Amino acid sequence: MDTNEIYSEIPMRTWRWLGVNEIKTPANIGDDIKKQEITVEAGQSDELVLEHRNGGQHETVVHVGAGAKLHLVLAQLVPTDAPNSSYTSRVTVDVADGGAFSYTGAELGGSTIASELTVNLTGKESTADVWSLYFGDGARLLDLNYIIRQAGKKTDANMQVRGTLMGTSTKNFRGTLDFLEGAKGSVGRENEEVMLLDEGVRNRSVPIMLSHEDDVDGHHAVAVGRMDEAKLFYLMSRGLDLEEAKSLVVEASLRPVIDRIPDAKLREEIDSYLKGRLANG
Amino acid sequence: MAENLLEIQDLHAGVEDKEILKGLSLTVGKGEVHVILGPNGSGKSTLMNVIMGHPKYQVTSGTMKFEGEDLTAMKTFERARKGLFLSFQTPEEIPGISVENMIRTAKQAITGERVKILPFRKKLRAMMEELKISPEYADRYMNVGFSGGEKKRNEILQLLMLEPKLALLDETDSGLDVDAVQIVSEGVAKFHNDDNSCLIITHNTRILEKLKVDKVHVLMNGEIVEEGGAELIDTINEKGFTHILDDAQAGK
Amino acid sequence: MAKKKTFVEDIERTLYDIKDADNSAYKSESGLTEDIIRDISARKHDPQWMLEFRLKSLETYNKIGLPTWGPSLADLDMDKIVTYVQPDAKMTGNWKDVPEDIKDTFDRLGIPEAEQTSLGGVGAQYDSEVVYHSIQEDMVKQGVIYTDMETAIREHEDIVKEYFMKLVPPKDHKFAALHGAVWSGGSFVYVPAGVQVKMPLQSYFRLNAAGAGQFEHTLIIVEPGASLHFIEGCSAPKYNVTNLHAGCVELYVKEGARLRYSTIENWSRNMMNLNTKRALVEKDGIIEWVSGSFGSHVSCLYPCSILHGERARCEFTGVTFASKGQDLDTGASVILTAPDTSANINTRTISKAGGKATYRSAVKVTKNARRAKCSVNCESLMLDNESRSDTLPVMDIEGADADVGHEAKIGRISDEAVFYLTCRGIDEDEARAMIVRGFVEPIAKELPLEYAVEMNNLVNIELEGTMG
Repeated sequence: MDTNEIYSEIPMRTWRWLGVNEIKTPANIGDDIKKQEITVEAGQSDELVLEHRNGGQHETVVHVGAGAKLHLVLAQLVPTDAPNSSYTSRVTVDVADGGAFSYTGAELGGSTIASELTVNLTGKESTADVWSLYFGDGARLLDLNYIIRQAGKKTDANMQVRGTLMGTSTKNFRGTLDFLEGAKGSVGRENEEVMLLDEGVRNRSVPIMLSHEDDVDGHHAVAVGRMDEAKLFYLMSRGLDLEEAKSLVVEASLRPVIDRIPDAKLREEIDSYLKGRLANG
Repeated sequence: MAENLLEIQDLHAGVEDKEILKGLSLTVGKGEVHVILGPNGSGKSTLMNVIMGHPKYQVTSGTMKFEGEDLTAMKTFERARKGLFLSFQTPEEIPGISVENMIRTAKQAITGERVKILPFRKKLRAMMEELKISPEYADRYMNVGFSGGEKKRNEILQLLMLEPKLALLDETDSGLDVDAVQIVSEGVAKFHNDDNSCLIITHNTRILEKLKVDKVHVLMNGEIVEEGGAELIDTINEKGFTHILDDAQAGK
Repeated sequence: MAKKKTFVEDIERTLYDIKDADNSAYKSESGLTEDIIRDISARKHDPQWMLEFRLKSLETYNKIGLPTWGPSLADLDMDKIVTYVQPDAKMTGNWKDVPEDIKDTFDRLGIPEAEQTSLGGVGAQYDSEVVYHSIQEDMVKQGVIYTDMETAIREHEDIVKEYFMKLVPPKDHKFAALHGAVWSGGSFVYVPAGVQVKMPLQSYFRLNAAGAGQFEHTLIIVEPGASLHFIEGCSAPKYNVTNLHAGCVELYVKEGARLRYSTIENWSRNMMNLNTKRALVEKDGIIEWVSGSFGSHVSCLYPCSILHGERARCEFTGVTFASKGQDLDTGASVILTAPDTSANINTRTISKAGGKATYRSAVKVTKNARRAKCSVNCESLMLDNESRSDTLPVMDIEGADADVGHEAKIGRISDEAVFYLTCRGIDEDEARAMIVRGFVEPIAKELPLEYAVEMNNLVNIELEGTMG
């Protein structure tokens, strides 16, 4: 019996049998929450790299002031074999007039992951540019819920998610663009690309688009599938063996997200981690 | 002197609070072919859109007359019914409306008469053949999945079918390969006769080869800075626009 | 302009809104009790197993709660719904024998005319019972059965017993249980192996009595290699009380068979339309759904296809138009369980004047469905900002072998497209109407002709004077 509480919910429910309406808090994760608040004052510009290397609960509250800019990088690198490898993260962001929030996320480790990202584009002409990658490996459970609410006029939201699943991992990704009434002239794009590598994986994708405003332009797309055989063949014809070719194709799909990480050392760590995992797979 | 078809006097127009056309005057007579040259951003496309009454642009002062009637208060569709036609620089894609349906509906709207399907279809087929558009395009949705060249040929197809009095061609030849420019220019030549006129924006003189150009206007920064006959095209091609601007400024 | 709109809208619905006097022979008490179920069952001369089935369904109904998602069903009070309304008419195969008032209704809706020109068979249900059924002689010779469900139970009890509510079991959800308890009427179609039914069969459902429910059951079995096009039409006059439609459609598409199921639903705007439709498709079989939802106050409609055999295929084409006072929650679900199965879902939704349109879907690919392919495309058009348009698709994929793509768009009529059309001499209202018609065109072209025409009229009327 799973009696643990609801950690996060999608803004509009659907059939229960699909199992996507809510994310449960992982069992035995404890009540201790590591909290962090980030404020970027009006007109300021900042870039922050957060590395979460321990399990447990994390909460990050972000304020992006009028005309301010923030690039937040959040890399989750919890060792899977750590004593507490369950992990939750809740990031809540509000963006004022003309503010620009940029996010680069990487869900790479841990065993049971519950992750919520909510961006409220409250200010007019505020923007959210969200790029995330996830990597499902072993028996990992990735339960992700991203929501961008577009309330201000002429807001711009972009949600780009790339993922790879192997082993017997399970991933549920819910991505919502919510155009509220009054969000005139707003645009929103959402795109998820998932590559499935092993027979044992399970992927759920839920791209939600809600609109209470006609003067918007929203678009979402999801592509789920196995690796492109033609690409693999091409690489192998250039002398790579199957494993090398696979690793390269996976890397290429995650590259646009990894390249956004400003810290070269962290980028290299992620690269070599992925290479190592793919070689074992 | 031919009778005047389009008369524009001291036209000021722009978007929101930005003025783009700053006192432009231009007259096109019946049966004439006029060419507008000018660097990017000089206001050429704005002029075309303002003549058609695009809601994005506001006319702040000046007059525009077509066959002596004031255009400024007319809605776009009324202007089209008077005999104005704009060939778009980037034609719209409209899913669900077939090329044939589009042209037939427009023809009916303009003439105010029911179009008889069979003769219409026959003429459409003939024109499509002339423009080397394969017949199945009649049933395809407007410009959806068309290449750049196909979109432009579809504009000329409409020109030939709708037979306006004044054709406004906004870079109808841009982005086309040599063969496509040839087809488009033949199409325009086929359209043109003593009773109708053309106002052509182009960067490419090939489209003009089959036409007798009556007048060339050079538009810079929202004003006509130079006018002349067909020979002006060669001058511009040789010396560029800055030369003209320098001359004009020297003249001041 | 506003005046004109009201005027035209009145004319449009008149056809459907003419209420006949309630001349029913018998009406059950409103609400739902075991006595009512026993009474309905006795009046319908159910076999014993059916009575038991009904009572068991009632038990299930009482146990299951309302759905926790989707539109509000607060306006529905089951205690006020009359579940069984028997028209004062016997089932007949001769149009002449249908009582005048009922005949007039169907005449106005053009049913007998369509039968003569383009249909292979027609069924007409009035309130809870089918009053007319006919099928062309040569189809009967080929062994095609097309009749009302009550006759089917009498004459083909074995077949009915084998398939009835096996695909949609009463425990599926509350309204499936309700259906199991009080179902009445509907059509039964059986197409023997290898028989190609050339002309479509059409059943027409009309709910005349105020405050009543319609619970028709449609059971279609298309045997191996056979093919059929079935059309379903629904309408009702408008009342101030809530009517309920909780029909159930079960489709069995056998090996190499093909079934096209077209629906145009134009219930009046006091109707709660909670319909369940499901198809089971065997090896190399094809199910094609064409679904137009225009009427009702609240709709929950998501035809489900279970692709059970290798290379089974589903094509779903749907359009939903939600206007004032409407909450239309529609979509589709597909479950791919066998290798090389494939599905295409293509929908358009329009919302206007405060209407709410929701696209909801589920695509499930099981591990066994190797090389399964599924593509979903849904586009939503909003005509004003009082309205709502939501898209909520779920894809659930097991294994590494599937290829699933989903694309959705939401927005309003493009100003640039309107300008383009007005540049060609078309006035602004017509330009907008053309764009809307173009938006639904990929769906309209799949509809039976008279329904495509009806849909276009509907679009024109809905747009009249509201824009520009």
